[in-house]
Amino acid sequence: MKLRLRLALTTIAVTIPMVVGLVLFDAVARHRAAEEALAGYTLARMQEPGGRDRCEADPSRWGGELGPGRGPPPEHARPRSAEDDERPPDGGGPTDAEARRPPGHGEREAEARRPPPPDDGRPRGRPAVLYAYDLQLRSANPAAPTIGGPLAAAIATSEVATWPRAWVGAEVEILVRMPWQSGPCALVLAQGSTVPGWLGAVLPPTRIWLAPLVALFAAVLLALGPIVGRIRRLTEAVRRSASASYASPVPVDGDDEIGELARAFDAAGREVRAQLAAKDRRELALREFLANTTHDVMIPLTVLQGHLSELLAGAEQGRGALVAAMAEAHYIAAIVHNLAVMAKIDAEVPRLHREPVALDELVERVLARHRPIARRLGVELDGGVPEAPVRVAADVTLLEQAVSNVVYNAIRHNRAGGHAAVLLEHVAGDRFRLRVVDDGPGVPPAELARLAERGFRSDAARTRTPDGQGLGLHIAARVAALHGIGLAFATPPGGGLQVDFTGVCHFGEAADSTQEAHL
Amino acid sequence: MGERVLVIEDDRELGRQIVLHLRRAGYEPTWWTEGRAIAAEEAAGLALVILDLMLPGTHGLDILRELRARADVPVLVLSARADTMDKVGALKLGADDYMTKPFWPEELVERVRARLRRPALQRSDTLTVGPLTIDRAGRTVQVRGRAVELTRVEFDFLVALARRPGAAVTRSWLAEQALGPEREGSERTLDVHASRLRKKLAPEECIETVWGIGYRLRVEPSP
Repeated sequence: MKLRLRLALTTIAVTIPMVVGLVLFDAVARHRAAEEALAGYTLARMQEPGGRDRCEADPSRWGGELGPGRGPPPEHARPRSAEDDERPPDGGGPTDAEARRPPGHGEREAEARRPPPPDDGRPRGRPAVLYAYDLQLRSANPAAPTIGGPLAAAIATSEVATWPRAWVGAEVEILVRMPWQSGPCALVLAQGSTVPGWLGAVLPPTRIWLAPLVALFAAVLLALGPIVGRIRRLTEAVRRSASASYASPVPVDGDDEIGELARAFDAAGREVRAQLAAKDRRELALREFLANTTHDVMIPLTVLQGHLSELLAGAEQGRGALVAAMAEAHYIAAIVHNLAVMAKIDAEVPRLHREPVALDELVERVLARHRPIARRLGVELDGGVPEAPVRVAADVTLLEQAVSNVVYNAIRHNRAGGHAAVLLEHVAGDRFRLRVVDDGPGVPPAELARLAERGFRSDAARTRTPDGQGLGLHIAARVAALHGIGLAFATPPGGGLQVDFTGVCHFGEAADSTQEAHL
Repeated sequence: MGERVLVIEDDRELGRQIVLHLRRAGYEPTWWTEGRAIAAEEAAGLALVILDLMLPGTHGLDILRELRARADVPVLVLSARADTMDKVGALKLGADDYMTKPFWPEELVERVRARLRRPALQRSDTLTVGPLTIDRAGRTVQVRGRAVELTRVEFDFLVALARRPGAAVTRSWLAEQALGPEREGSERTLDVHASRLRKKLAPEECIETVWGIGYRLRVEPSP
């Protein structure tokens, strides 16, 4: 979920319950205020001079909507004056006729008769309706409603009984215990309503208070805009930096938390850069060491091969052992070559120096490399190349070693009197096929597909000769794959193994052949 | 006197061996153990240069660059590093060939020989390969001076082989040259012709069967 949407939803999720809670609290408060006002009004009406007397004088007629009284007596009981007593009852209970009139009409008439209530600008509820009861909750007035349930239970223990959860509605009904605690007017039921409308106790009655809320909401979203924008830019910058191996720094703007984040990213990038550089240096050093060691090994190995040749040329006895020693020396050379090649292609991104390579000359070089040892081992090694040069775009070291491995494999896994042939041909238009075929023991068909696996050795090969890590054909396959050259193993009709390199010829100037210029 | 070969190799033992084997093969080697520029007068009489790359003094590639500015003498580079840049660099600077160490002495000699071998004069109508003399215009063949009667196919077969003496050539290519393109079962037919041709050229074993490839016209007289 996007940050902006999440924040908007969170704001809404927090604001709405808060508003609902406030509105509910307001409803409860309004209801309580109405109940208190009603209780105060009732007590005042009953305690004002003649209030109780009027009720007890004729309890069966007392009740209903009363006119406005004189208000509650002051805290310190005001002494009754003669004036008060002489004041005519202004609504000492409605007459039957009045009670039977439709309420709207009666109310309007009562409104009209009564002096307007003191106006403080607030709406008010409908006028109170009172009924008197004795302590057994019986009323002499037949119009009085029956009291039961929670109200009856509550009055037993308190001075003023109210309905639980009455705030849900606008109706207010309370039962008030009179201080005299006896007679037909010991309890008074007061009915009324809360102020019309649905707010006003705690929240302002008009909805102007929603305005700051909406403003807050808008402010949150507006303030978030630039923040989201900066985070997006930072993300983009970090992504760019990461795609370039953290080579480019992450731009830092501002010194707030986002600025901090950018700085942290930048520091992490620098650290990664430093680690990568250290790794590159180590790898380079290792590569350099390997190249130098290869060079250092190759010279004494060449000298050793020279000595072995020399010995064999002059040997009367022990020729078998000398040939075996030569084969081992040749094998060591192949391993060292493969080691160097493996170090190259095992790099995370193998660096290919692709140049046009004359495949026919490459085949000649490979044949020349292995012919002396093939001759000693009694394996007839021959090669055929087309008259016209075949060129491919390749890393000459890698491709030569790949072909060399396959050819050496054909010689090594062969027997005296066996054959190995390398055949380079143009096939189907602009493609070439380099086929290395031998008539050695070959490989069971089931194992053909696994030949290129690293470390794989055919059981047939294992029983005859230990074969190092089995890197040769694996390297051939890897190099072929790196160059987009196909490599296929098959069993030729006469037995043995047939390996085909197939690929696209390169047409253009060959860099590794200046032969034409010198002939 | 053999052809003169300059060997520039800093390793004493290896240099000694190279010189020894070249001398045995009939060449006249000169050996330098340090890298330095080859002067024009020194280059003049040389048939070939065998050049190691990593040398004390001047680097092999620099020697090559300077040499190529003056002379076309063939250069065979010795490389001990599995470094493509070295090889490609050497070839781009005008080296003719390179050999990767380690190598067998006979491999070296073979490569020198291949480099110094004069290609057969293809423009001439008469080809001489070993004991064979082939007159392409007159369509006649002589074995050590003895004329041999050949059919048209046999003659074309022999000429096709003689175009690349010493090289193994495929049956399909030979069939195309001698029998014409795309003939049914032509490779079998070719073997029959080859067999007849061999009998006519006997006792000289000029035509060799090469396993897995086809035929080859032998360059050196049979051992």
